[in-house]
Amino acid sequence: MILRCENLTKYFGTAQSRQVVLESVSLDFRAGETCALLGPSGSGKTTLISIFGCLLSPCGGTVTINGKMVKYRSKGRLATIRRRQIGFVFQQSQLLPFLNVYDNLFFTGRNAGISSCELRSRIESLLERLGIQHLRTKRPNAASGGERQRVAVARALLHRPPILLADEPTAALDWENGRNVVELLVGVARSEQSLLITVTHDPRVANFFDRRLTMDSGRVFAP
Amino acid sequence: MFAAAISMLLHNPLRLFVTLAGLSCLFILSACQVGMLVGWCNTVSALVRHAGVDIWVVSPKTVAFDYGVPLPDIRIHQVRSVVGVEWAEGIYMDWSMWQRPDGKRISVEVVGLDDSSVGGPWQMRDGSVDNVHLPDAVIVDQAYLGPLGVSQVGEEFELSGYRVIVRGISEDVRTFTASPFVFTSLQQARRIDARYRDDEVTYVLARYKSGFDPIVVKQSLADEIPNAEVLTTDEFAQRTILYWMIETGVGLTAVITAILGMAVAAVVVSQTLYTLTQEHARDYATMLAIGFARLKLIGVVLIQSLVLATLSWILGTVAFAYVAGLTKGSAIPLEMTLGVYALLTAIHIGCCILASMLSVRSILTLDPAVVFRG
Repeated sequence: MILRCENLTKYFGTAQSRQVVLESVSLDFRAGETCALLGPSGSGKTTLISIFGCLLSPCGGTVTINGKMVKYRSKGRLATIRRRQIGFVFQQSQLLPFLNVYDNLFFTGRNAGISSCELRSRIESLLERLGIQHLRTKRPNAASGGERQRVAVARALLHRPPILLADEPTAALDWENGRNVVELLVGVARSEQSLLITVTHDPRVANFFDRRLTMDSGRVFAP
Repeated sequence: MFAAAISMLLHNPLRLFVTLAGLSCLFILSACQVGMLVGWCNTVSALVRHAGVDIWVVSPKTVAFDYGVPLPDIRIHQVRSVVGVEWAEGIYMDWSMWQRPDGKRISVEVVGLDDSSVGGPWQMRDGSVDNVHLPDAVIVDQAYLGPLGVSQVGEEFELSGYRVIVRGISEDVRTFTASPFVFTSLQQARRIDARYRDDEVTYVLARYKSGFDPIVVKQSLADEIPNAEVLTTDEFAQRTILYWMIETGVGLTAVITAILGMAVAAVVVSQTLYTLTQEHARDYATMLAIGFARLKLIGVVLIQSLVLATLSWILGTVAFAYVAGLTKGSAIPLEMTLGVYALLTAIHIGCCILASMLSVRSILTLDPAVVFRG
């Protein structure tokens, strides 16, 4: 298993006014699997992938990535896990607006520890594969929403992470563009043998995934 | 990292331009205040430093060159008799009134030179320093020709009611006070000044004989000359500077203004960097989320503050050099020493880095999980 969680719990607030967001969530994911996480707002989807992404620590339970238990107390270790083992695709692409597309990728890739030479060829191959070579020298604000999400996908894949986490990657796109991005994401994850977990509200998007999990009130239900 | 930090700064060129303009102006303000202070220090001690002697024997508790107290000229002979002294002469210095032909009077600082003309003007435009020994002769500086009413050599004026003739014009021999220097001979200075007797001088100047230990000779002079203080040229120059800069409060005012300039510069950098960091808070959060270490992001802020400090320093230095060039030869010249400028630069850069701490703090408290909140 590439990712496993056991009895994951998360709550916010004090003992008097405790709001439970995750309640005893236990899940296993294998490499190359694509999974859609569905559910209404406030059901705990984003909290769950934030914990998987080492951005948030759980109140109880364990998370194991590649067989190693994540120690949430060590902020430095968490940053290293995010840098090396996880690729993120956010709702609003979140590209750095002051760098052009190529520099966005190069800057992130260098931080992930990829050598300049390897990084250049990796960027070229991703730009070609995602059909965004023409954006190379453009700033993110000069690209369309769909194009920006493609660049975000390229950024997430740069360092060949075993885990890809996407938070409503199609929310800001029309259906046509959204579908293209999801197809791309799923296709790339399968070919690179990465686990892909995508949070979505859209049941049409969920159809592209191998596995669909529904969340409600902090619990996970498999259909 | 450097390229990203610069790109972030350049992302809003208008703000960068305004910030740099503001910072450069504040650096110039501070540099001008300090430059004025250095210029004043050089001016108040110029005559002491340019005299080219090793020792000044002064009356006890003399506060500055400009406020001397008479010494009996027997001290000159006493100084000459000390082992290790090669040469000694007297010099006169006191305030007097200069009267122009149109009846206007102006206060002047009269300097009476002994036979070797030591302590006289170090740069002459017209005539020679030794002209002070001609009958009724005086030398004035070209910077004060207007206030003194002098247009050329050979003109006659009154000094404390005595007729004097301008026999030379010096160059760049300024005073810190509004009263110009008027050089004459020691004999004439004493004749003009009723407060001085014929056997009195203001200071005794001396030079060491080569091969003798200056410290030992100075100590011998201090032991053997009664009712007088023995100071090296540096000590007397420093005492004069301290009197004018501290006792009169002039130096303090300049220093306070310079510090205020630096403080305002720090606030400007602080605000700019903080605004920049807040504007890019989501970008920083994204970088944190995708695995950038906080230290690297703090590095971005520090690079930005260093770049702002360096660019504003370069612009400020060019402008200061230009302004200093314009004031050269004026009554208030802006001058600078390498050491003082290095200190000013270090403070400027230090303030800019210190100003980035607010931004650093905001990065330290940034939560990367915000990127998942839409």
